[in-house]
Amino acid sequence: MKVSDFFRGVTEIDVKGPHVIKSFDIGGITINLTETIVLGWFLIAIIALVLWLMTRNMEKVPTKKRQIVAEWIVSALNDLLDDTMGKSFRWFTPYVATIFIFSLLGSLLSLFGLRPMTADFNVTFCWALMTFVMIQYTKIKTNGFLGYLKGFCAPFPVMLPMNLVSEVSTPISMGFRHFGNVAGGMIISSLIYFALTGISTAIGLSVPVLSIGIPAVLSAYFDLFSGFMQAFIFVMLTMIYIASAAEKD
Amino acid sequence: MNLDFLTIDIGSIFFNLANTLILFLVIKHFLFKPVNAILEQRKQDVENTYQKADEALESAKQSEKKYNDLIGNAREESARIIKNASETASRRSEEIISEAKNNANMIIKKANAEVEREKANARTAIRDEMSDLALNIAEKIVDKEINSDDHRRFIDEFIENVGENDD
Repeated sequence: MKVSDFFRGVTEIDVKGPHVIKSFDIGGITINLTETIVLGWFLIAIIALVLWLMTRNMEKVPTKKRQIVAEWIVSALNDLLDDTMGKSFRWFTPYVATIFIFSLLGSLLSLFGLRPMTADFNVTFCWALMTFVMIQYTKIKTNGFLGYLKGFCAPFPVMLPMNLVSEVSTPISMGFRHFGNVAGGMIISSLIYFALTGISTAIGLSVPVLSIGIPAVLSAYFDLFSGFMQAFIFVMLTMIYIASAAEKD
Repeated sequence: MNLDFLTIDIGSIFFNLANTLILFLVIKHFLFKPVNAILEQRKQDVENTYQKADEALESAKQSEKKYNDLIGNAREESARIIKNASETASRRSEEIISEAKNNANMIIKKANAEVEREKANARTAIRDEMSDLALNIAEKIVDKEINSDDHRRFIDEFIENVGENDD
């Protein structure tokens, strides 16, 4: 949603992927630098700045609000990890925080008229792949390599294909769930704007007045609620999968 | 130029992986490391404080025990001293009393002996007197010289008998 669209209205719906800013050709493989990645850089820079400001000059006896907020965030995340994964996974908290913040802010970019990062399947699929790799790593670490392979034949060897499918479907379903929710929300928002512009034009308004207010309600759901929910679901699933992978078969 | 709406782009996945790792390091370095360090430091402080309090309580308890022991010892000591003193005193008083009794008995005995002696002296004196008197009376009555020695013996016997009857 671009600012100019508020005045001119949305007259066409164009379902496209992220804009490619620059393409490199390295050994015959085309590497695309898309707007998703650049927006990611912006987010990293903003997050780094905010965190640096928050945790600067921390004191043992907290006197500043920003320190209390930072401590609250860390404690809340640590508690969440303790509850869902157990105390032995404390080291995992920063990763969970990373995915959660990146996913949430990546989805909320749409509030600023930018293309949400998480509406790019490559982003959510990348995170899902990371989760997948960690699940496999944790399983091998817990049961040993042979035990890991045996796990695919549990409870009966006949189950092998189904176990494989279920294992492989985990990252795909996780990636598509997150991508589908945000991208779907983005498309529905576009459709709504398009429809409201059409109605405004039909009743003879040069400025699509109807586009004010109504989309905001939907945006609260698709951007804020859905963005938060998807980020939360993604990290919860990651934690649960990895915690269950760490249980001995 | 745009990517397709749904496509798998290796470059995007790679860049996003790098982005995620960078953000992970950023969050770890700027949020978790300092905050966890502060929390740990605070936890340590609280533990130290509790430990110190426990130690202080322990030493207070020990001191209390020590003082209680001391007081108990002092009580025993004083009780012992009082008991000793009262024993000594009672023994001493018994000694004094028995000594006094002895003295009194001795004095009484002495006095009795004195009385006896006085009595005997008096009796002897009276007897001599009486024998002289009886001799004089007999001389007067007989009017002649009596063999003084013979008669005196008779009279003495007589008075002796009288004296014995007196007792």
